[in-house]
Amino acid sequence: MSAGIVIWRCKGCGTAVFPQRLLCPHCHGAAFDEDRVHQGVIEEVSVIRHMIGQTDWQPRRIANVRTPGGPSITVGLRDGSEPGTVVELEQEEGAPYARAKVRS
Amino acid sequence: MRSAAIIGVGQSAYRRRPEPGQSTHTFIRDAAVAALADAALDARDVQGMAVASFSLAPDTAVDLAWKLGLSLRWLLQDTNGGSSAMNMLGHALRGVESGVADVILVVGGDATGLAGYGKIAANYNIATRDHLAPLGHGGPNGVYALVASRQMKAYGLDKSDYGHIAIAQRAWAAKNPFAVYRTPLTMEDYLAAPMVADPLSRYDCVPVVAGAQAIVVAHPDRAPRDRAAVRVRAHRASFNYDNQEGDGLKTGISTFVGDLWREAGVAPGDIDVASIYDDYPTMVLAQLDDLGMIADHDLARFCRREVGEKRFPLNTWGGMLSAGQPGGPAGGLNGIAEAVLQLQGRAGERQVKDARLAVATGYGMTMYRYGGTAAAAILERTP
Repeated sequence: MSAGIVIWRCKGCGTAVFPQRLLCPHCHGAAFDEDRVHQGVIEEVSVIRHMIGQTDWQPRRIANVRTPGGPSITVGLRDGSEPGTVVELEQEEGAPYARAKVRS
Repeated sequence: MRSAAIIGVGQSAYRRRPEPGQSTHTFIRDAAVAALADAALDARDVQGMAVASFSLAPDTAVDLAWKLGLSLRWLLQDTNGGSSAMNMLGHALRGVESGVADVILVVGGDATGLAGYGKIAANYNIATRDHLAPLGHGGPNGVYALVASRQMKAYGLDKSDYGHIAIAQRAWAAKNPFAVYRTPLTMEDYLAAPMVADPLSRYDCVPVVAGAQAIVVAHPDRAPRDRAAVRVRAHRASFNYDNQEGDGLKTGISTFVGDLWREAGVAPGDIDVASIYDDYPTMVLAQLDDLGMIADHDLARFCRREVGEKRFPLNTWGGMLSAGQPGGPAGGLNGIAEAVLQLQGRAGERQVKDARLAVATGYGMTMYRYGGTAAAAILERTP
């Protein structure tokens, strides 16, 4: 588990992308800097109650998270956060997750 | 340039699950045989073949040609999922028009079973395998659940609005002997169905079945004497239209819709029957809106009035939502074949009176947050 989600920022025009691309979708530059995005806002949530081909399935929550100035990312939710919630992002073996940001 | 048209259609039986002895290959064979019989052609007449399937591997198109005993001069294997059918149609038309092949068989089919489909859904592409499947995202159901929530917010839709599409298509399916799900559906049934991926419930999610579909493309003069061929007035496609940077509420159709209608020389209001790729009601509405077929972009009113009150003949074979989806490729061919039957006056109990013009679409390849391929065609009965 690592804090934040790795995204890629085009060296030419600064466009941030997730997942990784081969060329920037805007300037088609081939060079990217690795960056991390640590928080975002939940826009939509779904509860996955049924998994095709599986009979022993426990419901899981996923969400669409908009990151500031960056891409929208589909995450697994670690808690019961709802749309509008500011969440902290984390990554586990490449897969993105989120939980409500604790106010400091 | 030579002329090209659709001169025959055929399908295999559809099954909820493949039975012993049945496979993707046998369903495709059955559809190919049916389509050639419908076109009154012999397998020896076929000079080209296009195929799309999620479950043909490790075979490829040439292996299928071998197993069907077809020696060809034109061959295509398409990998564009829900828009494969429409994509293959476009290539086949060009193939006949250019004179490379006189007769092209276009086939699609799958017989994965649910477990097999689950594996395909989890390994759809690298982005899905690495970033979505580990979340337990539920395959396309989870992806389009999020899109549906977005659409409901953006257009003020209620859950019951989607229900009108599922219910109307089930009523059409009752008149289609090939449809897998034909029991009438009420709004109470629809709203009481178990949730699959909020806000999508059972009847919002296309049911995976086993089966195959085929069409035959050739010069219109090759059509059987007792019926007119179906001409394609315009055909357009789009791939990776927005780099997944939008919200998925528009499809690639929005990038070519002006060209489509202009080339066809007709307007949305001229369409008599529509086959809109229906893996989810959400995406039916998105495509229809992109086509300019929803007045004032009022999706809710369209659902309640045009669909709910049966004013608009939409997916008249029951759509994939009720007839079943034998993989995206064959699912797309269903819509084309139904348009052909309607335009030829061969749709039986579900015939739309005096149908002369049809629109058919394809949509698919859920790359990350929504589909990245789309295509559409305007079909017309030849005089």
